[in-house]
Amino acid sequence: MNLFKIISELEKVDPEIMDRLTHRRSALTALGDISKKMALAAAPIAIGSAFNKAMGQNNLSTVPAVLNYALLLERLEYSFYDQALKAPTLTVPLTGAARTAIETIRAHEQAHVTLLTTALGSQADPAPNFDFGTTAFATYDSFLTFAQAFEDTGVRAYKGQAVTIKTAGNPNNVLQTALQIHSVEARHAAHIRYMRRGVTAGNQTTIMPWIVNAEANGAPAPVYGAGNPSATFPAEDNLAQGGITDLTTALGATYTAADVSAAFDEGLDSTTVTTIARSVVKF
Amino acid sequence: MSNITQKGSDEAEFAKPLYTPIKRRSFFMYAGATAGATALLLSGCDDDDDNVTTPSGTVNLGSGDVGVLNYAYALEQLEAAFYAKVIETPYSGITNDERTALTAIARHEAIHRDFFKAALTKAAATQIIPGLNPDFSKVNFNDRNSVLTTARTFEDLGVAAYNGAGSLIKTNDYLLIAGKIVSVEARHAAYIRDLITPGSFSGSDVVNAQGLDQALSVAQVLAAAQPFIKETLNGNDVGK
Repeated sequence: MNLFKIISELEKVDPEIMDRLTHRRSALTALGDISKKMALAAAPIAIGSAFNKAMGQNNLSTVPAVLNYALLLERLEYSFYDQALKAPTLTVPLTGAARTAIETIRAHEQAHVTLLTTALGSQADPAPNFDFGTTAFATYDSFLTFAQAFEDTGVRAYKGQAVTIKTAGNPNNVLQTALQIHSVEARHAAHIRYMRRGVTAGNQTTIMPWIVNAEANGAPAPVYGAGNPSATFPAEDNLAQGGITDLTTALGATYTAADVSAAFDEGLDSTTVTTIARSVVKF
Repeated sequence: MSNITQKGSDEAEFAKPLYTPIKRRSFFMYAGATAGATALLLSGCDDDDDNVTTPSGTVNLGSGDVGVLNYAYALEQLEAAFYAKVIETPYSGITNDERTALTAIARHEAIHRDFFKAALTKAAATQIIPGLNPDFSKVNFNDRNSVLTTARTFEDLGVAAYNGAGSLIKTNDYLLIAGKIVSVEARHAAYIRDLITPGSFSGSDVVNAQGLDQALSVAQVLAAAQPFIKETLNGNDVGK
């Protein structure tokens, strides 16, 4: 049987089929292995199952899958800042140094989109449209609350993929590039958090550039909650690290839970991140 | 002699000097009486103005993941000692807001330092590096700009160090922990930079046109950190 012909036929029906397959060659190899072991009559069912797996997968395991996931988040962030900078409701409050900062952040997100799109080449997913609804840009306060949620989630999302990239063999030192993006997102998060201290920004006078306990400061609580599995991706108020159960008392000095939790940011799995994103954005 | 003052509060804990750990019983067990006795002798000396008593030994960070942990431990020791001094002798004109944030940062760094010491004690107790002696002789702790620009150097360097070291780490758990810490260092860096120049949280001197933060090799990081540490650090085998 001619697998290339089948895929070619599928592409006519679904032009994005190859984007959904994380890697053309590995998909064909998998199909080849299956067909060797199975009777010809059963092969079409096996092929269908292989495609379903590729199209419905949540558990990222390949580098292109991780990069497409990162690309989705970067596109979301870029769209968010781009729409904010163009929103008539924000023209007055988002001015001066605040506007300059958001333009800087937007430029970084755009650079990340370019970098990831280039790295993925023909494997890059098509860009979706993002609908942030009516509240995101309604007020300056609301805009910054959303921004904090996206940046802190972004930091958690990249962190959550570090081990996946390593396990996948870290081709071309993608891990280092991901880490270099990750810390930029953290810089953004810190700045956005400090922007929220102003009167027009809702006067969050006690907010810090870092995450204290699992305080959401008005952002959706799951942004700071546990992921799956929670042992790997605990909530931001986690006090256990590296097999040491409680750093407030186990280090030979006494530290507060606020300080211990703030000293470590936590990672998050892709399914939880995507669920958080879809709770506030339509795409 | 010693400029360490005893305080009855929590601050005495995170403000403890770099060389305190070396006095602990555990260190004698691994390092032997000679090294321990030397450290005790040195710890009694003023570390600001007396070159004769300056420790000049070389500290080898080791190899593999233990090397990476020691590398992180060394950098966190440096940061923790620096901020402890900042809180102990606040610069002239410090605002309440700055004091609150810098105190929090001091605690974060002390927690990182103590965590790496505990992690190394668990993983490779015989290979843990001693407490290092910092050299802040070029920092004017009374001057806001001197303190904050030094803080910026340490935070940006810390971010670049973790970013560069990530792919050297072999154990998944350590990689995740490095990721948990580096983003906190980046938050510190952004805050400090905004204190110096508002809006410079991710300036073009640290984030390039591709939107990437710095990632530096062990050798590059140690070359930048060495002027602030009296011992000579050898990181040639870190991650290898």
